[in-house]
Amino acid sequence: MHGYAGQILYIDLSSGKIEKKALDADFARNYIGGLGFGTRIYLDLIKNNPNFDALSEANPFVLMTGPLTGLKMNGVARWTVGTKSPQTGFWGDANVGGFFGAYLKFAGYDGIVITGKAEKPSYIFIRDDVVEIRDSGKYWGKDIYETNDEMLEDLKRESKRPGQVVCIGPAGENLIKFASIINNKRHAAGRTGMGAVWGSKNLKAIYASGSGDVQIAHPDKLKELKEELKSVYEDSIYIAALKSSGTPAHIDVGMIAGDVPIKNWQMTEWDSINDIGPGAIEEKLFAGHKTCYGCGVACKKDAEVKEGPYKMNKGPSPEYETVATFGSMCLNTNIESIAKANEICNRYGMDTITCGSTIAFAIECFENGLISEKDTDGLKLTWGNSEAIVALTEKIGKKEGFGAVLADGSAKAAQKIGKNAADFLTTVKGLEAPMHDPRSAHGYGLAYGVSPRGACHEASLNFNVEGGAMFVPEIEDLSMELVEHSSDDRAKLNVACQDYGMFFTSCAIFCNLGANPLTATHTVSMVNHVTGFDYTLEEIIDIGRRVWYLKRGLTNLFGARAEDDRLPKRLMSAMEDGPTAGSVPDMDKMLAEFYELRGFDASGIPKSETLKKIGLDDLAQMLHA
Amino acid sequence: MGMFESAEKFEEVLVGFFKLMGDTPKIADKLLASKLIIRFIYSDPDLVVVVDCSGDKIDVRPNDKDTKAIVEMSMSSDIAHRFWFGKVNLTSALTRKEMVAKGPIPKVLKLLPAVQPSYAMYPQYLDSHGYEKYNILKAYKPPTPPAAPSA
Repeated sequence: MHGYAGQILYIDLSSGKIEKKALDADFARNYIGGLGFGTRIYLDLIKNNPNFDALSEANPFVLMTGPLTGLKMNGVARWTVGTKSPQTGFWGDANVGGFFGAYLKFAGYDGIVITGKAEKPSYIFIRDDVVEIRDSGKYWGKDIYETNDEMLEDLKRESKRPGQVVCIGPAGENLIKFASIINNKRHAAGRTGMGAVWGSKNLKAIYASGSGDVQIAHPDKLKELKEELKSVYEDSIYIAALKSSGTPAHIDVGMIAGDVPIKNWQMTEWDSINDIGPGAIEEKLFAGHKTCYGCGVACKKDAEVKEGPYKMNKGPSPEYETVATFGSMCLNTNIESIAKANEICNRYGMDTITCGSTIAFAIECFENGLISEKDTDGLKLTWGNSEAIVALTEKIGKKEGFGAVLADGSAKAAQKIGKNAADFLTTVKGLEAPMHDPRSAHGYGLAYGVSPRGACHEASLNFNVEGGAMFVPEIEDLSMELVEHSSDDRAKLNVACQDYGMFFTSCAIFCNLGANPLTATHTVSMVNHVTGFDYTLEEIIDIGRRVWYLKRGLTNLFGARAEDDRLPKRLMSAMEDGPTAGSVPDMDKMLAEFYELRGFDASGIPKSETLKKIGLDDLAQMLHA
Repeated sequence: MGMFESAEKFEEVLVGFFKLMGDTPKIADKLLASKLIIRFIYSDPDLVVVVDCSGDKIDVRPNDKDTKAIVEMSMSSDIAHRFWFGKVNLTSALTRKEMVAKGPIPKVLKLLPAVQPSYAMYPQYLDSHGYEKYNILKAYKPPTPPAAPSA
């Protein structure tokens, strides 16, 4: 099959059974790939018994590539993972770059479905037709960097072509609720605790090496499109900024709009922001450019701190979200300490957004006397205390002392700390909000509220479109003029961003960064040239919509209701001054309009007729039985 | 018809502001460190201004079409005006080609923190130089926050 490897691996860790199932062409056409495949397969697996704990062996795990994964083109190296989230208790997923997806396809597989639980620590070895569950005892307890390097060294003689490793660290093994899964030390499936699910299954890693390639249906047409896109990329200032500074380039632009959260979302202006901005990163950390498979954008950067308390060897540099959570959110002006916290998170395998936000939350609890040095193992958790921030990151990774209190994320920590700790939360559905302020762009508020996985700027294309990085002239609702600091038209915008976004970032799978300059004409053409399908824009929007309802339906099946679509008090409090002064999203208005457009009932569940109209009769039956 | 009634008026307002920035050390020092020569090409009304940061002080030269600029920025005069209030979604303006930049973009982006203090200066400059009618913040009222969330 063009664009596809043609097989999906089904691995049951309990029984050790390994099956290779051929990818059905109609299924591929109807769900495209990525989370289109993943959500449909997952729902089919759990439909007879959807009531289980996320860390039990009843929770399946899906890892899927898309038809473009493995091509040498900008912004298409992505792959996806999904399962019930141990952090939120709802549907969780993550979208990852790097190399693993490409290598899995070269080995002959579009995805892996993992069920059950291994008796002892294990890893999955894949080399073309050879697929084995192996003992991972020697890697268990080792951090992500050690596991990655040692496994590649150990297995290099078993493969003609070098392989790729995706693994968990001690955080996943210790079931830290926001543990991540990381490929090649830097490409993380970060959000919603995917790594804890692997830990619960005794699954340390997957190694993939393959000798195949991705077959293209219309190579001449694809070549022509690639030529056309050269000038699109050359002219894109967004891409130029990514190439130069990576995602931290957003700090300078974000500060103008009041988009960068400061002091646990209590400020939008901060004189010290340049101490952690792209200029400071270039001066104090920068150690080289890195990229994902086949991508010329190279938005990843290396960092190195040669001396001092935060000394670190050359390795992944913090992304924008990490700089903000460990920096501006904590009033931390020491960029080297942020790089160190990032390294700790990468080594232990923890989501930096949740980890940094949870530390900012803890600092506010400390400031307000809800906790003291007695509770924090002697750490003075004051704003800007770089040393304490780094020490606490390590304690969380080890699940040690006060770190264990924070190891389930801020929402659970607020319950443990009690009093008015919940006032300092920034979570939706138990997931800490990313570093983009809905008071600067109201549609973000709705996007965070209704996102199936909790507060997230990547669950749809709303951040890209309302934030201005993406312009899709072919779709009216994605190219309309929006009034600043208004909630008007945001429901309509969110629906369009979800429908097209599911195709774009979840199914096809394009990168939210490196594929930003592409129009819908480009993306649909690219998928058609590769697969040989003849999708129209309308058809891919219909598929995207169906996949969005699948994700939303899974979250509803796991118990989410209308009250879970609300923003926390902190994000609904207006700033007195600065770029967003007086601006607060009107969630009542936006949610009412959104529910109407999406055909939801008042409890936040898609109505039966809504689901049946798009061919999800089984989901309708499960939600309305 | 844009906000400015003539190219002469736009030049008077904008060049005056650029010169004020050039005389403000916290901004000028960082601009001078960049060594950039930037040509701004405005439309509706049309105006060309070169801001030369290559010497010891900022040199603002209206209607200089001859100097070889390192960076060229093209936009409408209204977009330019709103930018100096900090009221332009820069990412969107660049994506939608409402602003077009040519030259070493990373160097231009590095100037953003340098010019940030100017957003507060611009409305004050307009008011204190008799240009109150161009101060869009005077007519701007922040939206009334909605009632507290019900859940």
